[in-house]
Amino acid sequence: MNDETKSGIDIQSDSMAASQPRIEAVNLTKRYEDGTLALDNVSFGINPGSIFAMLGGNGAGKTTTINLFLNFIEPTSGEALVDGIVTHKEPLKAKERIAYVSENVMLYPNFTAIQNLDFFARLGGKHDYSKDDYRDVLLRVGLEEVAHGRRLKGYSKGMRQKCGIAIAILKDAPAILLDEPTSGLDPHAGLEFIQLLKDLRGEGKAILMSTHDIFRAKDVSDTIGIMNEGVLVMERSAAELEGENLEQLYVQYMAGYEGSELASVPESVPDSEQRVETND
Amino acid sequence: MFNIILDKELREIIGTTKFAVTFGVCAVLILLAFYVGARNYQVSRQEYEAAVAENIQQMEGLTDWGSIDHRIFLPPQPLATLVSGVSNDIGRTVNMQSRGELRTEGSRFNEDPLFAVFRYLDLEYIFAIILSLFAILFGYDAVNGEKERGTLGLTFANPVPRDQYILGKIVGSFVALIVPLMIPILIGCLMLPVLGVPMDMDSWLRLAMVILAGILYFGVFLTLSVFMSTLLQSSSASLMALLVVWIFAVLIIPRTSVLVAGRSVDVPSVDQIDYEKSRFAAQLWNERMTAMQKWMKANYNDDHRQMRDGMRTFSTEQQALQDEKMNTFVEQLNEQRANKSDLRTGVALSLARISPTASFSLAASDLAYTSMELRSSYVESANAYQQEYSAFMQSKNVDYWGRYRRHGGNDDVEEPDPIDTRELPVFSYQQPPISEAIKASLPDLGLLFMFNAIFFSGAFVRFLRYDL
Repeated sequence: MNDETKSGIDIQSDSMAASQPRIEAVNLTKRYEDGTLALDNVSFGINPGSIFAMLGGNGAGKTTTINLFLNFIEPTSGEALVDGIVTHKEPLKAKERIAYVSENVMLYPNFTAIQNLDFFARLGGKHDYSKDDYRDVLLRVGLEEVAHGRRLKGYSKGMRQKCGIAIAILKDAPAILLDEPTSGLDPHAGLEFIQLLKDLRGEGKAILMSTHDIFRAKDVSDTIGIMNEGVLVMERSAAELEGENLEQLYVQYMAGYEGSELASVPESVPDSEQRVETND
Repeated sequence: MFNIILDKELREIIGTTKFAVTFGVCAVLILLAFYVGARNYQVSRQEYEAAVAENIQQMEGLTDWGSIDHRIFLPPQPLATLVSGVSNDIGRTVNMQSRGELRTEGSRFNEDPLFAVFRYLDLEYIFAIILSLFAILFGYDAVNGEKERGTLGLTFANPVPRDQYILGKIVGSFVALIVPLMIPILIGCLMLPVLGVPMDMDSWLRLAMVILAGILYFGVFLTLSVFMSTLLQSSSASLMALLVVWIFAVLIIPRTSVLVAGRSVDVPSVDQIDYEKSRFAAQLWNERMTAMQKWMKANYNDDHRQMRDGMRTFSTEQQALQDEKMNTFVEQLNEQRANKSDLRTGVALSLARISPTASFSLAASDLAYTSMELRSSYVESANAYQQEYSAFMQSKNVDYWGRYRRHGGNDDVEEPDPIDTRELPVFSYQQPPISEAIKASLPDLGLLFMFNAIFFSGAFVRFLRYDL
């Protein structure tokens, strides 16, 4: 973990400064069988009560990072840890502590929202929820009550996304992984979601969020990382980014320039050489 | 965890419109198969009873046992209502004679060729064709479909052990599909006695075993489908692959195996055998004539009575000798043909058993007693009856050729009394015991079990390393 991360999280959650990162990547590297390097020696840490936003273009390695935490793939080297548990060594134990919302939440179309919530809550080890609990959480994520008993095959992408977030909330896991979570949400729902994230942070959750949405990332995150071609090229705290133009910074890092060269960013950004193809 | 996955599978499958429509179609077809089968049994039973009565009736009033034309009939098998097997193809009638070979004739398809064109819609057909497609339809995307829909990723973001997931998936799909299908099958079973099919304990046991074989067969296609869905990344690819496998298993392999066996083992036809027999009989006749001529030349004298008695004795000796030669020749020919036929059957069935459909059909027909054994056991019963019949006819002074031997040779005696047909030994065909049927079906049931085990293990092992 580099110093930037430490300082960023320390600023946002002084009371947890002494605690260990809840979500941690240590020299995380993933090279696929065909030789493609999808993730190159990535390290970061997210303390309880913090939000880490990963920015980056398609194929930058954001989803690969999340998949490594979920043990959907195994790292070539390095470790992904949740509460100190190495995810590829003890995946089931680690997953007890992880809630996940994908970019395009797809649930069982022939189940109602409540039936989907009930199934995934039980998968997550929560067997004591009542229908009222499910209704409450669905209302909390902004899904109207009239839709609760309807089958999901009639749901819009935004409604499914809300269900996915409700599932993550129900699991009450200390670590939350969000892969493009605001994708498909209308502006109002997007604002509601940001408020929800802030609430979850207030409850002490550590949140790792991959996103293309620079403005929302800046609005809600305690730390922002920019990934390019599998490398974490920038990692700064919200305090450090105060007064900076994050959009320009993003473009600059994606084009391969250093922070000090910001003023000289050309209008047309050259394509990155040997762009890495990944499964992201 | 297993229970959660199982519960989800049950609700997910049963709650779909696809299931409701497919189940409805299958339920109607199953009930129709029971109804049509029972009606066919009633018709066959009526035809059988009418034929037996007519056989006796045509003897009534005859005074000479030598002039009767006695036939025996194969009674319809109760379980042929559900597994017709070869019961409609084999001859049901045997023209009884005191000596010589017995031939079966008058098959149902021979009399009503229309039914041979498309065959009957029986329970075996529904299992073999329709339920195997039903299993594919609900299993082809079991795993890769979940991945495509995105639900697999969300599921495995939770602490779900892979072994319990795939186990729950297979068992859940199996229970969700087979339990509802058992409802129309059980209703159909209850309909059988109501529709006049006599079901004793033996028949119920056989039927239960047929259904068990059907469940195993259904399991083969379901586990194969799940296996394919773990093997191939795309659900459309697994559906295509499964349909190709289905076509080979159901339509191509069983038929090709018979063709290959027919090409590889040459079995002489019945006509060829008959020709050989006729030729040998003609040869024996010539030899006999030559021997008679030689005897006549050697023993000619004026005492005609002495010569006639001597010739009769010589002729009888020659006849016995030639009968023995003919019998030996016929036995040899029949044995050679039977051996070749057995070899061809063995080759055909061994090849066919690569297909689970063939294994299921063979097991079902063995259990329903409508397999190829039905013909041989009917012929065996007829042969056993022939001995009884022959002894009876001799007791009535009818010789081997059906000629009535009159005592005294005096034509002036009173007209003899009509024959009493009740004296005629009664032919009754008994099905072999269920233990034999189970024994015969065990290899095929074992194969079906093995197919299940292979595909289940394949799906299980493959999923443990499945790329989420």
